[in-house]
Amino acid sequence: MNAPDRFELFLLDEGQKKVDQKDETRVPNTAVFTFNKEDHTLANLLSQRLLKYPYITFSAYKVPHPLFATFELRVSTDGSITPKDAIVKCCKDVIGDLDTLNRSFTTEWLGKRIVSEGDAERAARERGDY
Amino acid sequence: MDPFDVEGGAINVRFLEANPTRAHFIIQNFNLETANSLRRYMLAEIPTLAIDVVEVLDNTSVLADEFICHRLGLIPLNSRGVDDLLYSRDCDCEGYCDNCSVVLTLNAKCTGNEIMKVYARDLVITSNPPNDAVGQPVITDREEQGSCIVKLRKGQAIHMRCIAKKGIAKEHAKWAPSAAIGFEYDPANKLHHLDLWYEGDDPKKEPVDQERINLDGGAPAEDEPFDYDAVPTRFFFDVETVGGLDPDQIVGRGIKGLQEKLAQVIHELTGTGGPEGDFGGAQSPTMNGGYNDAGYTTPGYGGGASSWGGNGGIVGGTTPYGQPTPGYGQDKPGW
Repeated sequence: MNAPDRFELFLLDEGQKKVDQKDETRVPNTAVFTFNKEDHTLANLLSQRLLKYPYITFSAYKVPHPLFATFELRVSTDGSITPKDAIVKCCKDVIGDLDTLNRSFTTEWLGKRIVSEGDAERAARERGDY
Repeated sequence: MDPFDVEGGAINVRFLEANPTRAHFIIQNFNLETANSLRRYMLAEIPTLAIDVVEVLDNTSVLADEFICHRLGLIPLNSRGVDDLLYSRDCDCEGYCDNCSVVLTLNAKCTGNEIMKVYARDLVITSNPPNDAVGQPVITDREEQGSCIVKLRKGQAIHMRCIAKKGIAKEHAKWAPSAAIGFEYDPANKLHHLDLWYEGDDPKKEPVDQERINLDGGAPAEDEPFDYDAVPTRFFFDVETVGGLDPDQIVGRGIKGLQEKLAQVIHELTGTGGPEGDFGGAQSPTMNGGYNDAGYTTPGYGGGASSWGGNGGIVGGTTPYGQPTPGYGQDKPGW
């Protein structure tokens, strides 16, 4: 009865921004990004991927409350790049990876489909029902 | 070199099985976080069509109205071409219209002495959907009847108007495009990510999936020291569809959707491009995100690195991420 509407998990509220950036004043080159209406799908992808870059000194996320679809991503760099640019770069790289994956998937799927259809046809022929 | 990895370090896919209901494949040279995000995206965020509102005009069957309505919601509908429909909440109409919904009517009455079964095939589209495919009940059984909705005895009847809308599985599981997505890495547990349970006192007696272990480079040697730096690179996916979308469409849309999600983050952070300016109002996830403007287009795969290209100093990464694979079409738009 009191349950929040399920669409609140993925629809931004009126006037709400997807990402809010807040610079950490006590630590240099650090910012906390609050992503609204996103979950572990994006959070884990970004935080783990960021750790692979040499200029990232810290990257982690938390979901402040499990009932609210939001997460906070904290990113520190060594100063050669801003946290924001690091995330943008990271996103672009993941998009590139997915691009490669998509092309490989499409070609391999078509190839495998042709092969398995050929196999099925041959099996049908061998059974004698033309 | 790995005998199964003919691509020499680039991200690639190998199929184990491909048929109209199932895509069983391995992604090689990939990373765990992206693979898992893809899995989560395919499970929860791919739009499909499902019955969302039911107007009960007549129900004299033994099942309660809400019971039947729930069953109707779970019936898989053809979602090929669901992109031609708007989300109902984004549509200008009040309630529903042809641009954002498909109306199916179920009208059955038992007149004979035998018990009559009402099947999913008895759902008839009574609106004007944007294309021929979208909204048809999925029928894959040999008898071509689909799933059984109710049984009627003599004199009983049901008459319902079902309004099918576009949605995602995050809102309700009835919109899930896949029956199940198998996901596994490291079947031999060489990375010790799992602490496998075993019966008795000898873990070696437990059955193992030898076929998969062989596909993943074989079992570890007896005296092989534990590699603390090892990371999973090979991922087994088994995508099974409920019939609304083809398995390759599920994966394709999953990849595309995840890219759009990331493009939206880029757009939000850099403030470049974007067809709709700011993202003020409440919008559906796939509505926004500027993926067609200058900053987001890959300018032809054939001609040098894409705009996403470059390696970007990934630790130990010699893989040319985003580099074009020669031979693949130059004519691909967008991504």
